[in-house]
Amino acid sequence: MMDKSAGISALVEEHIKDGDTIFIGGFGHCVPFALGFEIIRQGKKNLTLCRSGTDILFDILIGAGVTSKVVFGYLGNPGIGLGHAFRRAVQAGTLAYEDWTNMAMILRLEAARQGVPFLPSRILQLGDIADASIDVRTVNCPYTGEKLACIPALKPDVALVHAQQADNAGNIQMIGVDGDTVTGAMASVKILVTVEQFVETAEIEKMPEVTRIPGYRTTGVAELAWGAHPSYVEGAYGRDDDHFHAYDREARMEKGLADYIRRYVYNCADHAAYIETVGKKRLAELRAQSSSRKIA
Amino acid sequence: MNDLPVAIRLALAAARELVDGEVCFVGIGNPSDAALLAKHSHAPEMTLIYESGVVDSDPTSKPPLSTGSPSVSQGAKMIADGLAVFSELQAGRIDVGLLSAAQVDPRGNLNSTVIGPYHSPKIRMVGSGGAHDIACLANRLVILMPHDPRRFLEKVDFITSPGLSDRRSGLKLPPGPVSLITERARFSFESGTAALSATMPGYGEEDAVEGLSWEVKKTPDFKLIEKFGNKELVAARSRFKYLYN
Repeated sequence: MMDKSAGISALVEEHIKDGDTIFIGGFGHCVPFALGFEIIRQGKKNLTLCRSGTDILFDILIGAGVTSKVVFGYLGNPGIGLGHAFRRAVQAGTLAYEDWTNMAMILRLEAARQGVPFLPSRILQLGDIADASIDVRTVNCPYTGEKLACIPALKPDVALVHAQQADNAGNIQMIGVDGDTVTGAMASVKILVTVEQFVETAEIEKMPEVTRIPGYRTTGVAELAWGAHPSYVEGAYGRDDDHFHAYDREARMEKGLADYIRRYVYNCADHAAYIETVGKKRLAELRAQSSSRKIA
Repeated sequence: MNDLPVAIRLALAAARELVDGEVCFVGIGNPSDAALLAKHSHAPEMTLIYESGVVDSDPTSKPPLSTGSPSVSQGAKMIADGLAVFSELQAGRIDVGLLSAAQVDPRGNLNSTVIGPYHSPKIRMVGSGGAHDIACLANRLVILMPHDPRRFLEKVDFITSPGLSDRRSGLKLPPGPVSLITERARFSFESGTAALSATMPGYGEEDAVEGLSWEVKKTPDFKLIEKFGNKELVAARSRFKYLYN
């Protein structure tokens, strides 16, 4: 059995190259914030970020200057408002972007996961999206003659994922909301993972149906409790909604966003320092809010 | 009636559109509030589906901020993934979709992408999310908008989510929007353009169309709704305390 365990900084350093296309996992749940913040600390450049519905991690990675292009279905601060760094970058013309839809992004990743060049769909044939920033072609079905949109495959270089647990062979177990996390990970060439805790392989074998990424596909995995904060992890901690509201207020101005990134990324040498900055009291509150659902 | 918050009145008005036993694909915010209100009053057998993959849940203890928030999966009967629920949508197995947006026009086209020109926007917004997909694929579409004339335009700046279109039947897409609901009124798309079909409790015809930039016709079956159902008002008070703050 190959040992795929590593530290988070080694994962980012060895496996993410400037110019890579990165799929960011986490649909509200299990957003890999710690991996994203490590990318900023290491000063990666010209990344293309992709997924369906994004979280503020996308906006932070735009504001931190590591991103040159975004490919997405939704880009904002869910339920709160706009992605302020995204809004400023688009209005200033400094960021390339492709506006898709959530279903289209899922089909793009699913096509890559299946190894086919596109999947046919009925969406993106009405309205303005198909003519704005993306290349959507159509096909007439060879069986029925129906006109369908071809949703092209998108194969990311690297996927970032956070989950509840794994063994050091990289069998990744996750419960709770998935969204397009597993689809996007399985579509990608490399898969980098952080987990709340490592367990023995015997534990994995007790519930193999909650293994969502098999060891042979995982590139490397780091044990990193609180690696998804300020998002949440089912059975571990609740969502830090106040943090998302605070981000909304701060990121409205460029200086506020810079302060946020300095406080939570640059002034924290590593994830342990980040956790210290968030504070024990807050973490205890979030722990108490968590659901009690566990992987048996 | 007018002392109720706008969010509650909008939810009460939109809940009227939902029928017991239906499968409903909902977005967060006003759409989710309306669907939950219906489920806790006249439509207990309704199934709610969120684009994050959550099926048949009951997130009322705390307002969910996103379709992936912890409270969305409270009481869930299934947590699938995005591919599974969008597949249900495309296969025509979702009865009704509920959407809101920044702008709407008389054909029910919705904009959540940009204010101003697409390539040099005044304000860049969040984009489609699942809205375009729901607008294309749900068997019936209900649009919810707070009454704000700046958001009701003759022509939206960008069509993120398509409304009525002559091309729908050729593409084998369902007909699209059936109604546009505000806290003041119901508009029907039956005639091909949003026409006033009802006013909500506490509002008259003039309030319903106040400030709208297009000439609004009345449907032949226009009616005044004098009050919301008792069950609905009780459910709003007991289950949506957060909307009163």
